[in-house]
Amino acid sequence: MATTTEGTAQAGVKPFDIVATYNELLRSDPDLTMPIAAIEALVLLLTHEPSSTISETLDLLEKSTAHLKKAIPNPIGLSAGTDLFQRYLITTLQRPGQLGPAGDFKAIRTHLLSNGRLFIRRAKESREKIVAFGRGFIRDGCTVLTNGGSRAVASLLQKAADEEGGPSAVRFNVIYVLSSISKNIEEPSGEPEGMETVRALRAKGVPVSTIPESAVAYALGKADMVIVGAEGVVENGGIVSRMGTYQIGLLAKAIGKPFYCVAESHKFVRLYPLGQYDLPIEQHVIEFRSEEDIAEQNKQSADTSADRPIELPLCDSVDFTPPHLISALITDSGVLTPSAVSEELIKIWF
Amino acid sequence: MADSVNPAVTSSSTTAPSQAPSQPPAENSPSQTLPIRDSKTANPPAQSDKASSKPKDAPAALVTGGDGASDKPLTPAQLKAKAKAEKAARRVKEKADREGGAGAAGGSAPGASGQPRPPNTPKKDAAGGGASQKGVKGAPPRRGSGPVAQTGAAAAEPKKKKEDKSVAVFSHLYGQQRRTTVNGAAKEVHPAVLALGLQLRDYVVCGSSARCVATLLAFKRVIESYTTPLGTSLARHLTTHLGHQISYLSTCRPLAVSQGNAIRALKLAISRVDPSTPESTAKASLCDMIDNFIREKITVADQVIAGSAVEKIENGDVIVTFAGSNIVKQTLLQAHKEGKRFRVSIIDSRPLFEGKSLARTLANAGLDVQYSLVHAISHAIKDATKVFLGAHGMTSNGRLYSRVGTALVAMSAKERAGGVEVPVIVCCETVKFSDRVALDSIVVNEIADADELIPVNSPQQVTGLPDPAAFTAPPVEPKKGGKAASAASTQESTDSTRVPSPSPLAKWKDTPNLQLLNIMYDVTPAEYVDMVITEMGSLPPSAVPIVHRMSTNP
Repeated sequence: MATTTEGTAQAGVKPFDIVATYNELLRSDPDLTMPIAAIEALVLLLTHEPSSTISETLDLLEKSTAHLKKAIPNPIGLSAGTDLFQRYLITTLQRPGQLGPAGDFKAIRTHLLSNGRLFIRRAKESREKIVAFGRGFIRDGCTVLTNGGSRAVASLLQKAADEEGGPSAVRFNVIYVLSSISKNIEEPSGEPEGMETVRALRAKGVPVSTIPESAVAYALGKADMVIVGAEGVVENGGIVSRMGTYQIGLLAKAIGKPFYCVAESHKFVRLYPLGQYDLPIEQHVIEFRSEEDIAEQNKQSADTSADRPIELPLCDSVDFTPPHLISALITDSGVLTPSAVSEELIKIWF
Repeated sequence: MADSVNPAVTSSSTTAPSQAPSQPPAENSPSQTLPIRDSKTANPPAQSDKASSKPKDAPAALVTGGDGASDKPLTPAQLKAKAKAEKAARRVKEKADREGGAGAAGGSAPGASGQPRPPNTPKKDAAGGGASQKGVKGAPPRRGSGPVAQTGAAAAEPKKKKEDKSVAVFSHLYGQQRRTTVNGAAKEVHPAVLALGLQLRDYVVCGSSARCVATLLAFKRVIESYTTPLGTSLARHLTTHLGHQISYLSTCRPLAVSQGNAIRALKLAISRVDPSTPESTAKASLCDMIDNFIREKITVADQVIAGSAVEKIENGDVIVTFAGSNIVKQTLLQAHKEGKRFRVSIIDSRPLFEGKSLARTLANAGLDVQYSLVHAISHAIKDATKVFLGAHGMTSNGRLYSRVGTALVAMSAKERAGGVEVPVIVCCETVKFSDRVALDSIVVNEIADADELIPVNSPQQVTGLPDPAAFTAPPVEPKKGGKAASAASTQESTDSTRVPSPSPLAKWKDTPNLQLLNIMYDVTPAEYVDMVITEMGSLPPSAVPIVHRMSTNP
């Protein structure tokens, strides 16, 4: 996949590879979220592929979306973006007037593409809005427990730390739950996800304590609130997030601490999981194996790298935190209760 | 809850095959066009035996008379004269009936029973209505028998006695005595509506969507045969004309949420009719609107809902459902057709036993079905993985208003001890969404006749299998009732012939300090509902008011 990443630049000559573009976009810009990368890839696709009719455009879009979703092991996040873009295209095309079905297709196309870019820019700005809404939650002297590598959470905490330019205008502590599984596949002993944020916060003068996942219940007594990020916010207001978030939610509920989730509204996805095992992805978190199975597997993977089969599924696995564990969602369209998510989604979709 | 709309039977021209035997084929009865409750198909033998019996055939007979009259536009003076003549004829006829005593003669004469008669002639009611109804109905107890017998009793007992028998907490729900005949209906009421009213009351048309569709189809006929009187406009007069039909229907059985929503949409469409449009065009457009409404809000909606509900069924699931919801049935059948392997556990309850027909249908389709009554809920829920429920309505605070017992099933699923909680999924068309708010099931509910609770089946009957006793008993019984119709067959006498050992509750009306409560619905808290599948997507219960707002004023 990674070898064809020049596709973005030279798509004029060879067929456009949507998957490669998507991966490249995600790699090149660490601030990019999955749905936005998906939208950007689709906009690039439309720029490169000449299409002359509306149905051709929609067909192309649908095919590439399906292709992209199939190629990415966890398409929950990106499907939020592709759905949104498709929805946006359809509503634009259905609108009467110059840009509607009766108008000149070239004009429609240019309009769509320019607006698609605007879309991306707005989505990037949404993190700023979240910070504005979420800042009030972090008060002087409080302790925040967080986990994972969410950029939205990181920017919220950092903004709160350097508010008004001074060194830590709001004085707060952070308990950072670090996953025991490394994000980086190539070096399993590398630093866990979130270390970067920890360093940045410490640089800003925020006292940070890092704890393993097993210490969450122990540490929650000292925390005033939990703030987590999300990969996708589903229709019932629950979140799909880094493995381990669900248990933090359960513990926070049991101990009675507020549990906030920070997510951009483009992460709202039309998905309604009924539980942990109802997510539309394949993940092998629980695998029952006997000594025999392990031996067999080791034999099979002897020629390839040894650790990979175990390492790969776990580091990217997600879980589902049901809405009743979430106190509020801090999004760019305001601070929402979980039940308001469906209202927002319905507004987008109908 | 028990939606038994047959999706095939949504256009007015289609004939429900199950109903056909019970109607004389020559008669152009409106009831033939209506979706018929599945469970009733078991009964036709009993019904067809008594082709001339009263409550069924009276409206049918009326239709022929009524249609003939409404086909030709008459001047008001002519109409008045005609009505007067008819009334006189009816009065004479009725007197003869009363003398004859038997209700059987009444139905055969067209228009004989449409006459407004003084409400308190209890003796005749008990003899005519009571006897023939008891005879016609098969195994399941019917509402029809109750109020009649009650009136009969009221003749002898002081009125105070009846008052005692209403359960105090629910006393506000007893207000409306249910209509037992078409007598006393306003003369504006269309024969199709007259017939529908009785079918609604008898649970022949039962289930929220079925009632909605049937009402709309009847109203379509009303509109088709409607002519705007001189001096008024269609938009103004048709609404009041429909008002008569609606008030008649609501005296037969309180209107369902879906019926209310459909009526509201229809009235809105009528009020939007431009006064300058010719009447025929306006009527055609209104009929189109009705057809579209049925198609969009119910037929297609059901397909969409079943489609998305099927996705939630996985191999190895044990699906628990309560009573007989049509949309749940559709879902399960479709999932089975798609090759998913799962087990179904049907929870049912007295007195309607709506789950029996569901169990029969699913078992016939080759599904693995377990059937138990609601008291076995803890056992049935033990190995459940999902609960699918139908709905009578959803209130604006996200609560589910459905057949009584639903809340119990939902609660058992959510509060199951020592296990993963079982998701509770509600399948509900948006036409069943209401802007009302329900906090409990006391304030808004429906009370059915308490006599339905008195067991009429032999206690050996356990499962949904067609019980030989239940089906052989009725044909014997109606014959008795029919032959001895002149004998005033009261509640007691019918009961003694039916049940070998009379139920201890049989004389509950005469038993002091005993009250029976036959409540129809209950309210399931929103917390017990994980997901509502509608044609607009899957929603949390909290999204009900938003969707309702959007679907009513787009």
